[in-house]
Amino acid sequence: MHSTRILRHHRRVTAVGAALAATLALSACGGAGGESAEEGGEDQTVTVWHYFSADNQVALMDEYAKKFEATNEGVTVENVYVPYDQMNSKVVSAAGAQTGPDVVVFNGAEWGVLSQAGALAPLDEQWSSFADADQFPDSVLHGTEEEMLAVQGYVNLLGLWYNADILKEIGVEPPTTIEELEAAMAAAKDAGHEGITLSALPQSQGEWQAYPWLTSQGFDYSDPNADDLAAGLAMANSWVEEGYLSKEATTWDQTVPFQQFTAGGVAFAENGNWQMGAAEADANFEYGVVPLPLGESGKVYLGGEGIGIGASADSPTLAWEYLTETYLDAEGQLLAVEKVGSIPAREDAAQDPAVVDNPLLAPFSATLAELGANYPDSVIPVESVADVQTSMGQAWSAAVGGQQSPEEAAAGIVEKLQSLIGQ
Amino acid sequence: MTTHPLPARPRPKQPDGTARTDKSKAKRRPRRRSRYAFTIPALIFLAAFSLFPLLQLVRMSFSDVTSATLNGAWPFVGLANYVAGFESGVTGAALTRTALFVVVVTVVGMVMGLLAAIALRTRGHWSNALLAVMVFAWALPPVVNGSVWKFLLADDGLVNTIARATGVTETALPFLYDQYWALGAVAFVNSWAVIPFNALVFRAALLNIEPEVFEAVALDGASRWQEVRHIMIPSVRPTMLVLLVLTIVYGFRSFDFIYVMTFGGPGDATNTLPFLGYLQAFSRFQFGLGASTSVVAVLVVLVLAVLYARSIHREESE
Repeated sequence: MHSTRILRHHRRVTAVGAALAATLALSACGGAGGESAEEGGEDQTVTVWHYFSADNQVALMDEYAKKFEATNEGVTVENVYVPYDQMNSKVVSAAGAQTGPDVVVFNGAEWGVLSQAGALAPLDEQWSSFADADQFPDSVLHGTEEEMLAVQGYVNLLGLWYNADILKEIGVEPPTTIEELEAAMAAAKDAGHEGITLSALPQSQGEWQAYPWLTSQGFDYSDPNADDLAAGLAMANSWVEEGYLSKEATTWDQTVPFQQFTAGGVAFAENGNWQMGAAEADANFEYGVVPLPLGESGKVYLGGEGIGIGASADSPTLAWEYLTETYLDAEGQLLAVEKVGSIPAREDAAQDPAVVDNPLLAPFSATLAELGANYPDSVIPVESVADVQTSMGQAWSAAVGGQQSPEEAAAGIVEKLQSLIGQ
Repeated sequence: MTTHPLPARPRPKQPDGTARTDKSKAKRRPRRRSRYAFTIPALIFLAAFSLFPLLQLVRMSFSDVTSATLNGAWPFVGLANYVAGFESGVTGAALTRTALFVVVVTVVGMVMGLLAAIALRTRGHWSNALLAVMVFAWALPPVVNGSVWKFLLADDGLVNTIARATGVTETALPFLYDQYWALGAVAFVNSWAVIPFNALVFRAALLNIEPEVFEAVALDGASRWQEVRHIMIPSVRPTMLVLLVLTIVYGFRSFDFIYVMTFGGPGDATNTLPFLGYLQAFSRFQFGLGASTSVVAVLVVLVLAVLYARSIHREESE
């Protein structure tokens, strides 16, 4: 597993972290009231905010709740769904009102937004006494130099799903280069099928899906170059022009294009390992996964949900116990493999036969090792992450939807990126 | 027709039969004051949930508020947020899109609402059933309405399927992903959602017309169009003015359908002022910038609210 060393990457925000330490310390004091309630021995509730809507992901949350309730008599786990794009703002607002969830499951890349608002409680104390801490690589720990604020139970990343029946029909092998991918999409189109589905929604999900293709054409956040970016956007635009990709992608989040794929009639889908359960449930055809064919410069984000304890959690101790018995537990992580197809963060769970013997997970593991990249890119300052993701998502959407030419979209965004990243 | 002045209203009598004196008026004042006391709960509610948030919004628009400062002090930055919004071009572009959006919502919403009201003016089983369906559609949450329309307008949705089957087009019409169609399509769906409300209000106004008027013009040989042109439209004109302002305000503050159907895309093609404010505040976490965009929107709505109040006043005085 690639180690992103996120803790070290955020040395530049030391000052912010120091300021937050006081805020979080105060917040932690606020949570102490909950601890006294725990000692009272009354029935307790662990409130978990998450943004999962896919059936298999919701099922995993339900399994975690059952698992924890089974070993903690009198405790109820309340899973609360919050739409993806409202999660951060709701957690930030709740922190301001000294309320919020006990546990928050959020996009791990956006920990900085929650951290800046003082919405997450520090985990250093719990982590230092956690017996299995050495099972976790640095890449899944999030926080400032001073504080650890969140941890990932698993890693999620993108791969290229293919419809084996269609590839057999058109007589091609799963592609290993972009040229092969484009040739296969052309053949699929000629045979009356669609080429590929992906998301070009003008927000962070679009940026997440755009990143592999943009980097395959040389784009790099550490040196944003309009020509390289235009080349990446032009490639996606050409897929639309050639009829391989529908412009409808601009209205799809990541769930919808995979539903299109599992409905049949589409040769490829750029989507994640978490879709394994959905594929098994919905696809009535043979399918498989290969690493995204990105050439030498292409990279794939190593994402996944960050799990943290709310700064105003009613019962931080109970919340931590919930984490250790579900997301951070080897058995809990294997549940995520079974239900969702996630790649465990724990070293022991990652070596389990359920992972290493799974042919669908193997390509993701290979991608992780060969193409994995920090999410978000470590050169983007914490305070600019949300802005960069939204702006890039809009540029990707504009190029795919034809609102702007690739050159216009690239020129429009690069200047802004340089300002946001400080290049 | 001549008019007669109303006879002077007799001075109210006391229970003992004597005329009420100025002294008794003075006694009434405390009662009037106590009557105003009943408005206090509503005023407190308005102050807490409308005025205070509005003042906070204005204060935020003049401050540098991000996720780092939201829960702390808000540094004052003057007009910097407004200047940044207009200098970057996004506020101006969003204003233009909002204006186009409002024009479509207003024209379609008003015209279709009036036509629906005229069609459903008579009472009967069919008109009652249709009205019930319209009220149902109007009462549905915009998120549900928007999701249904997103399916209907998809490439393989019902509308495109019919368009292809009837030979209107060979390829799918790009309702939600072409930069021009997308704004029009979302505006149309917004209009569709307001038609039932407008139709109900217009219908109520039409039902106030005495049946004898229609009988009289029928005897004079007026056509259906002449009935509409010379009887119905003049009768609903005061209502139309009020409804026009309400529909414009509705179009101006529309957010839900854009959020569900296009999320502002493709690119930023459907970023109207309310949605731009949302993106700036809750996606980029630049709350100060988002607040300044929202204040611009509030100012426009305030102007419309004044027009609305004046038209209501004029209607009441008539």
